[in-house]
Amino acid sequence: MPLKWLLHWQPNAGTTVNSQILTEVSQCVESISGVKEGRWKATLTFYKPMLRDQNVAADYPRDFLGISLQEQPNKYYCIIRGQRIVVEADSTIQIIMEKLQSYKSRVSLNFEGFQYQLGDFQLRVGKVVPTHSENLRGIVMEVEYLPISSLDKSRQIMEEFVDIWQETVSNRSLPGHFMHIDPNFAEYGLSDHYTSQHTAVQYASVMAQLIATVRN
Amino acid sequence: MQQQPRAQGTTTPQTEPAETSGTPADAPPKQVAMAMESLGRAGRLIADIRIGADRLLEALFITVQPHQSNKPLHLIPKEEALMRQYLQDLRAIGRQLEDSGVLTGSLRSRSNSWGLHMPLVCPDGAVVAYAWKRQLAGQAGASAVDRARLALKAFTDQKRRFFPHLEDEPFGQTSAGESLVSKKHCSSQASIASRNEELTGDIKLSDVLMHLEKEEPNVRVFTYQRLDWLKRASSLSSSAKENSLESSKDHNFNSSYKLRKGSLGAVALDQVAVVELVVPSLFRAIVSLHPPGSIDPDAVAFFSPDEGGSYIHSRGFSVYHLYRHISEHAVKALQYFLGIKTDATLYFLLRWICSYQTLFTKVCSKCERLLTMDRASALLLPPVHRPYWRSFGSKSSSTPSPLSTKDQGLDFMTAFHIGCSSDEV
Repeated sequence: MPLKWLLHWQPNAGTTVNSQILTEVSQCVESISGVKEGRWKATLTFYKPMLRDQNVAADYPRDFLGISLQEQPNKYYCIIRGQRIVVEADSTIQIIMEKLQSYKSRVSLNFEGFQYQLGDFQLRVGKVVPTHSENLRGIVMEVEYLPISSLDKSRQIMEEFVDIWQETVSNRSLPGHFMHIDPNFAEYGLSDHYTSQHTAVQYASVMAQLIATVRN
Repeated sequence: MQQQPRAQGTTTPQTEPAETSGTPADAPPKQVAMAMESLGRAGRLIADIRIGADRLLEALFITVQPHQSNKPLHLIPKEEALMRQYLQDLRAIGRQLEDSGVLTGSLRSRSNSWGLHMPLVCPDGAVVAYAWKRQLAGQAGASAVDRARLALKAFTDQKRRFFPHLEDEPFGQTSAGESLVSKKHCSSQASIASRNEELTGDIKLSDVLMHLEKEEPNVRVFTYQRLDWLKRASSLSSSAKENSLESSKDHNFNSSYKLRKGSLGAVALDQVAVVELVVPSLFRAIVSLHPPGSIDPDAVAFFSPDEGGSYIHSRGFSVYHLYRHISEHAVKALQYFLGIKTDATLYFLLRWICSYQTLFTKVCSKCERLLTMDRASALLLPPVHRPYWRSFGSKSSSTPSPLSTKDQGLDFMTAFHIGCSSDEV
């Protein structure tokens, strides 16, 4: 499966994201001959356990995330970051959790935007908004390199791409820059060959980063 | 057997006096026509004999019935006389045909036959007017197998006649799956060598592959017959999907694949038509050889290691721009290596292909970057050009071992972007 890097927008200290930045970023993509293709969307949900006995709450993970990705419509990815667990489940797991009343959705966020084709690269620029709200919480960008699937072998290419990208964006003098976190996939039991589980782990990392940014 | 309709036999046929099949002074077409006619007559006589036999049996059957007249007793001698006549006529015709060479095929190689051979009666009873063609009328019963067998026999005979120096292994031994017999291999290589005076030594495909595996341990080399490659290419897409689901399966897949190669042994090296070079996670290159088993490459193409499908072959195109550009460049390199006219063409090509192991790591020797925007195609590409024109040091001939790269000074250490390399050439 083609590999991808997930970048997120890191606003400068004291500033926040706004939709103007998003527009500028989209224009940047088009300036390097990106061809707009269509929309994309991913959904991330925070779950909390439904417990009758609140005393055992400490035994249950607080950061249980569920992610649905557009490229895998039949799958749902469950992640517990604290324990470095990622699981690929059928998308019906959401219904099961609901019926069992075991976990309840706390907060749900959408990552949505437009997809661009750039030769052998595919870029997805998107905003982070809670469902049923237009409150912009962040900006993310997926950089997908189609020809190969090895994270290791593609590292240099992707780094250079990100450099080129940073350069293009910095020409616009926006208050912030894109950042890439490199999660330790091995801790999650994932190999060098890229899969959707890697994507889910990256989304979880970015989410944690966004929360940290908002808090500060 | 030629089946004559029964209705013909109910009336007593005129037993024609046996005609001669024409004197040898007759032109061959007439001889052929007379022979065909005799055969037709023979067929009719045979049908009459069968009907006569039926009647005799019928008469005998009636005589043993309880209430009967004396009629059957008249029939029997009459039939007997007729049968004797038929059999005599048949013998006469048979002798005639024998004399004219129809039944024995002894006159088939006459020089004045105008290209027409006497009709041949095949072991399954059918008559072949020409050596390779059956008359369609009345031959509906001939099976496709018979036709094919006859055609092949005729072609083989012709080949033996006109190309006696190409006397290679008989037909039955060219079936796939034969294990390599070194004697056979040497003889076919020797015949190729004698055709082409430029071949100095006897570099075989096995030598090339062995050297390659020694020099490039990271590259996996596989060989296929043409049809086997087609099957493998189609199965690649399904295995690629497997890999994406369970990454740990990757190891199992690769190791079982290596086992497969080992168990096949040398895949009948004289039938190898496709050579596949795989660098895991980097690329898959396909080189086709023509003729199969030789060391003459005729096409090359690059693909992503994750691609699969029947379009993966030496003249196919990858769906990714990157590999398409490399393939374009590779075609030029192939033409260059072919133009050098040495017996190490294939070896140089394969070594050059292996230089792409650094595809995603080696920066351009001109601009010192890995990824740049190619102006012409508006694509971000790594350096896809590896120079082939500088791959020969000072030597062009008189090396004792053409496959030793140290002497040749092979230079595969540079790489260029498309835009950067055009300045170099």
